[in-house]
Order: sequence, then C-alpha cells, then structure tokens
Amino acid sequence: MISKKEIREYLTGIAFVLPAMIFLILFVAYPVIQSLVLSFFKWRGVGPWKFVGFDNYIKMFTRDRYFFGAFKNTIIFTILMMSGEMTLGFIYALLIDLGIRGWKVYRFIFFLPVTLSQVAISLLWVKIFQQEGLVNALFGALHLEQFQHIWLGDAKFAMWCLIFVSWWQWGGWHMIFFLAGMQAIDPQIYEQAKVDGASTLRRVFSITIPLLKNVVFILIILCLIQGFKMFDLVYIMTTGGPAAATEVLGTQIYQHAFDVSKYGYASVLAVLMVAASLIVTIFYVRVSGYGQEALGE
Amino acid sequence: MRRFKKNDLGGLLSNTVIQAALLLWVIVQMYPIFWLFMSSFKPSNLVRARIFDLPKSFYFGNYNFAKFNEEGITILIYLKNSAIVTGVSLVILMITSVLAAYGIAKLKVPGKNILIVILLALIGIPVHALMVPIFYFFVHLDMINTYWSLIFPYIAFNIPFAVVVLQTFFRQFPNEFIEAARIDGCGNLRTFLTIVIPVSLGPISSVCVVSFLGIWNEFLFSLVMMRNNAVKTLPVGLMGFKGRYVVEWGPMMAALVIAIIPTIVFYIIFNRSLLKGISAGAIKG
Repeated sequence: MISKKEIREYLTGIAFVLPAMIFLILFVAYPVIQSLVLSFFKWRGVGPWKFVGFDNYIKMFTRDRYFFGAFKNTIIFTILMMSGEMTLGFIYALLIDLGIRGWKVYRFIFFLPVTLSQVAISLLWVKIFQQEGLVNALFGALHLEQFQHIWLGDAKFAMWCLIFVSWWQWGGWHMIFFLAGMQAIDPQIYEQAKVDGASTLRRVFSITIPLLKNVVFILIILCLIQGFKMFDLVYIMTTGGPAAATEVLGTQIYQHAFDVSKYGYASVLAVLMVAASLIVTIFYVRVSGYGQEALGE
Repeated sequence: MRRFKKNDLGGLLSNTVIQAALLLWVIVQMYPIFWLFMSSFKPSNLVRARIFDLPKSFYFGNYNFAKFNEEGITILIYLKNSAIVTGVSLVILMITSVLAAYGIAKLKVPGKNILIVILLALIGIPVHALMVPIFYFFVHLDMINTYWSLIFPYIAFNIPFAVVVLQTFFRQFPNEFIEAARIDGCGNLRTFLTIVIPVSLGPISSVCVVSFLGIWNEFLFSLVMMRNNAVKTLPVGLMGFKGRYVVEWGPMMAALVIAIIPTIVFYIIFNRSLLKGISAGAIKG
C-alpha cells in the first residue's frame, strides 16, 4: 500500500519535474513523432496529407543523387573537420599544460572564436576568401599569383575552405577537453618518468597521449553528433554549392522543407538524422558511463 | 584546476622552428578578427584597395545606423530582439531546469531512471529534425514572427543539457542538510530555495553561460521562424548582408563588429564559468 505521505512526496517530486517535461513533450517528443509520421506522407504545406507508404524512403535511397552526395559530404566533412580540430586542440592543450610562457593569453586567444556567432564568422570568411579578399591579396603581395583562386566558387577548393574555417573556429573547443584530461593526470607519474630520465617528448608520447584515450573517445562521439547537424557554416558560406559540391544533410533538409515545400520528403531526412544521433548517443552513454552514477548503478 | 607547471617544456620548445610555427599560427588565428575591426574603421574604397594597411585615422562612416536602416538592415532592432529572446529563454530555462534537476536528484519521482536515460539521449538530438513540425505548430497558433516561437523551442532544446549537468551536482549535496531543514519545518520548496540554491550558484552560472552562447548565436530556427524584419534576431539579420555590398565592404564590417562585441565582452567577463561549464557538460554549445 502506498501511504498518504508517500503520495504527497511523489506529487512534490512531479511538481518539480513537470515544467521541464512539458517543454520537452511539446517541443521535442511531439515534433519527433510528427516527423516520423509525416515521413510516410506527401504534403506540400497546404491541403490534406496524402499517405504514400515507404515511397519517400525508396525515392531517397534509390533515385536522389543529391542525397548520396550530401551523405558522402557530411561524412567527409565530419572526419576532416574532426581530425584537424582535434589535432590543433591537442597541441594547444599540450603547450598550455606544459606551462608555456603566457599560457593564459594563448588559452584566451584559441578559445575566442568558439564564442563568436557562426553567422558572423562565416560572413567574415566569405570576405576573406572572396576574389578581392585577404587570401588572394596575401598571395598577390608574395608574388604568388598562380595560387590566387575564386576559392568558394571552385568545387576543388570550396570544401577545404569550409574545413579550414572549422579548424580555425573549433580547435579551442577541443583544447578545453584535452586540458581537463591532462589536468586529471597525476603529476607524480611525470615526476617519476623525469627521474627515470625520460625526455619531455618521450613523456608526452608514453604518458599523456595514452591517458587521454577517454577524452579522444568523447570528442569523436560529440563530433559525430555535431557532424549530422552541420548547417550554419555551409548554408552561409556556399549554400551547398558550387554545383552541390558542399551540400550536406543539414542544408538538404532545409532545402526540401523551406525552399521547395516537400515536407514529407524532408521528414525522411529528419528521421534518419534523429535515428543516427540516438544510436551514437546511446552507444556513448553505454561505453563511457556518462551519467551512469545518476542511474545509481 | 591545478596550477600549471612552470617551464616544463624541456627540449620541446627550444626549437626555433616550432616557436616560429606557433607564432605564425597565432597570427592566423587572430588576424581575421583584427582585420575585421581594422577594416570597419576604414572607408569602403580603402578596405579592399589597401587591404593590409592600418586605418590612417578612425573613420566612423561605416557605423552609420541610419544608412543601414535605409538599406533595410536594422542592426539595433536585431540586437534588441536577440537580447529579449535570449534573456527570457534563459530565465525560464534556468528556473525549469534547476527545479527538474533537483527533483530528479533528491525527490521521489516515478520513472526517474527512464527520465535520465531520455534526457541523456536528447542532448544530441539534431534540432533540424524538429524544424518542420515546430514551424507548423506555430503556424497553426498564428505565432510565427513572435518572440515566443523562438523562446519556447530554445528552452526545450537546452533543458536536457542543463538538467543532466545540474542533477549530477545536486546529487552530491549532503542529505543531512536537507533533513535538518525539514526537521526545522521547512517545506521542500523552501529548503530548496534557502539551503540548496545559495551553495549551487557556481554550477548554475556555468550552465547559464554555456546556454547563453548557444541561444544568442542560434541561427537555423531563427531563420525559419522570424520572417519579418522587425522580429529578426542578430544572426538572421546579418544575413541581409549576404550577396549585398559587393563593392562596399565597410558597412558590413561595422555590422559584424557590433554583432561579435557582445559575445567577446561576455567571454572576457565569464571566462572561468564558461570553460568549466563546457568541460562539465561534455557537450558542444
């Protein structure tokens, strides 16, 4: 039997949790379910929904070459952006952890771009890569005219430009995670290695890097999740162009939904994105034990 | 955070090549922002023609808001809209998340474990996938182009992160204090407000700072919901410069400066809470 007191306690608990739950139900759970339902219908924003079964899925997987391009680009972007950002973040963190002179200044500088609006950053870099922009002016000043290009208008370079901006902006974000990991390493391990005569470089490779395995794992997962969502940078700098060379899933979903009003078709992408991110997140929670203590083992 | 070791670089940085590479990279990292500020104080014709030169004198013509307004780019209104949307979202977000986190950590809630699993799973949810249903939700309520059409979704998207991080903290709060307050006759809410909140301001502000940046800089939903110039937030408003001012670069540089100054100031003030909040949540803002 549940006593009256227990009921009161449960009601109090529910009252604390309820406001947050209402937001999640209305603006997360309900939209996810509606996207799932809508993906089986044809709907152009007005009129009744027309049930089409798996047609949207079949069409996307068999006939939509933009989908495959966007899918491939999303993977390439995610891997290349991640590896560069992570390498930079690691180097930043290592230099700071080793106590380089002025480390506070470096930490400030490297993290600064992370805090800035992606839109402002993207618009700024559009100007930098423009024909008369900073990059071409630099090559001009160095008399290296053969390297001048219309960077964002050339399918060969556009993707690398976006990747570079991402490295430039997000390296500092990775730095914070690596720093936290390095700070958690017991200094005595380093002292012992020093006594044993290991050089700084040796200590980095045989102590620091192996002990940062978990940080790298966390970062890879977070980058995968971020990768599915990529939108702002691409939309503003190239809008997926030139000739769909930088099209990603995020820009595709926006285009299907708000440029051509194919809401059912766009929902297929929505469902795929949610599924992918849930799989990655669940994998992450299981393997890392993140939030595990909250579950009381 | 433990103090950093002093000068433990050993043979690593004695190499001049590495030092030079680091210096070069710092320049690459900082120059675009420096160039942005510098160019905003130069007349447009000099921004491109003398692209590397420092401004000879400070030219404020680019910061002419009346001119922006004529062009249909109302920077000050965008700033106001961003401030309202971010401010209201943050207040409601923090109230609901702090309450929910405490409830999960310390009170009896049915299905608590399932709730935590759901919150964890939702941290990474791609918001693009929610765009169409939420857009039509507000279309049906005739609420497109209202602040609420952004505020409600922003609160919802940030709740999972905030609740997960805060509840981890509340869990460590000793039960004895809560019991003692209860014996003294405090109700749950009163205990929470007078005993728990005052010692939790650190983590609360960390979560608040991380959420602030996410909401202030959010672009996609704002692009979808705010079709009317009078209600656009700053990131969407800035898009008005895209494809415009092909020749005249100065005004756009000035607008970008105005757009990034609030977050730079914010970063300088809340540096510590921000870095803590990010590593605590293990989530990209």
